[in-house]
Amino acid sequence: METMEQGVLGHLMALEREGMGQQDQHESQRLEMLKARAVTLRAKRDQLKHQTDVVKILKDKISTDLPLDDDAAAAGGFTELQKSLLTAWRMQLKDLQRAHHLIGGYDLVECKEGKSVCVSFHTAFEGVYLETYNMELDLTRTVQISRHNIPPSFPLESFAKQILQKDLKAFLQTLSQNLNALAARRRQVCLLKELVGSVEVMESNQLCNILVLMCTAQSESPKAVLCTLEYADLTQCLPTRVRIECEDKTLSQSPQWKKNQSLLLESPAHTAVLTMRRMGSIA
Amino acid sequence: MEQKYEEEIQMLQQEIEMLEAEQEETLRSIFIEHGDRLQRELKSVYEERGGAQKHTLSKLITEVRELEKKLRRQTEINGIAINECFVKTLHKSERKLVQQLRLAGHCSVLLFQVEFAVTEIQEDDALLRRVTELNIVVDGVDFKDFSAFVSRVEDTKDLLLFFRTLRTFSERSEERRQTFQHFQEKYPDVVSLPEGCRSELMIIRSPQLPGISMTIFWKIDVSMEGVVKPSLELLLKMPDQAREFDTKKVMENGSDYFQSLLRVLGAEASIEGLIRTVCL
Repeated sequence: METMEQGVLGHLMALEREGMGQQDQHESQRLEMLKARAVTLRAKRDQLKHQTDVVKILKDKISTDLPLDDDAAAAGGFTELQKSLLTAWRMQLKDLQRAHHLIGGYDLVECKEGKSVCVSFHTAFEGVYLETYNMELDLTRTVQISRHNIPPSFPLESFAKQILQKDLKAFLQTLSQNLNALAARRRQVCLLKELVGSVEVMESNQLCNILVLMCTAQSESPKAVLCTLEYADLTQCLPTRVRIECEDKTLSQSPQWKKNQSLLLESPAHTAVLTMRRMGSIA
Repeated sequence: MEQKYEEEIQMLQQEIEMLEAEQEETLRSIFIEHGDRLQRELKSVYEERGGAQKHTLSKLITEVRELEKKLRRQTEINGIAINECFVKTLHKSERKLVQQLRLAGHCSVLLFQVEFAVTEIQEDDALLRRVTELNIVVDGVDFKDFSAFVSRVEDTKDLLLFFRTLRTFSERSEERRQTFQHFQEKYPDVVSLPEGCRSELMIIRSPQLPGISMTIFWKIDVSMEGVVKPSLELLLKMPDQAREFDTKKVMENGSDYFQSLLRVLGAEASIEGLIRTVCL
């Protein structure tokens, strides 16, 4: 009996030792990894600290108007300063590039050794940046559009035919204007659907040049009012015509609804509808 | 044991982030305070011919040269030149970035100073970006032309619309200046620009017919929504004695005739037509 127990126990203990040994192995592997990472990071931190100090020295020298190259220290020190200068200038150039990007620039990039260029059209409405459309223009013989991700409902071909060959900048400007207007109209439809639950968007289309809304007018008995907004000018995000229709003719002709009609003509759709709701004109 | 290393690693990562931010800020502040001096020093760095030095810096110099080239391209294609650019990072974390930018520059002869704040939030696969503050000052244009538009754009924070409209307005103004200047050079005895070639006014007078003048007002309106619309008007002046002879009622109908002419021939040809009438 004893021998067997010894055997089994001994076996179990051996297994336990082995298990612990493996765990130890894992542990020590992980430890090595962490140790290595810490060493790398420490080196990076020290290098950064050194660079930061050099930049601070540069700043002091410039502030006190000292010449930068009369450093008593070896030429190595001077190179450090020059490096900081270039790094400062690189930072500024990157900032400038970002600024151009943020103000809606075309971010023109040369591709294929100058044989083509890529441009981006940034769109925004009321401070919110929306879609960005991209286009590659082939420059080999005449200027031609080779690739793009502009929606098919957009009259791109017609603009290209009219303007692209004559004046590239005018083409870009026209596209930017029209794409921004499209993005703005589309955003208004989104906002209407999100913000104003009681107003139903009956009809809209890809180009967002027509918008039909169904509102519920607040009166003794709530009545349905159909507002049709037509956007004949595709460079604009406001409608060119607004029609108000209701079974009750006195309602649609009332001064209150004449006012609502003006609101829909003069302000973005979601803003107008929110105002109408706030004024108690609609539900 | 492990924990100690993990803690150290986290601390080091934070330190590194802080140092990188500090370096960025110091570099930016150098530019803010000493931009000019920096430019001068940079010139000497470029021209430096010291062998070993140049080698260690050549990669950086090449990178900087590339960036300068790209920037020149952006400036050219965008039609907007940014002369000053100050960026302040108010908040930077893994998912959120808040920055304040102050830009100064020009679009042809129109000067602008724009200050704005932008917030970027990284949400899953989309980057949400919005302008949260906007202040604009424009110079070089008759303020009354632009002020309603600028106020509206500041309210709606529509930074992109501002620059699109600035560019369009600048182009229409340039067309007007070129046309006015062209006519003054071609017909110096007859055409005068009393307020300069960048103004709205052009006066046509024949030396043989004193007292009779045609004034063209070439206005460029900017609506609150940023629609740029040039509009031309003609004002005829005739001395009282001459009016007696005005049997065809040219004085009354002249402006309308001019509008019809504009619709058919466009601005340049219509103005040339008017000038020719007094050159007989």
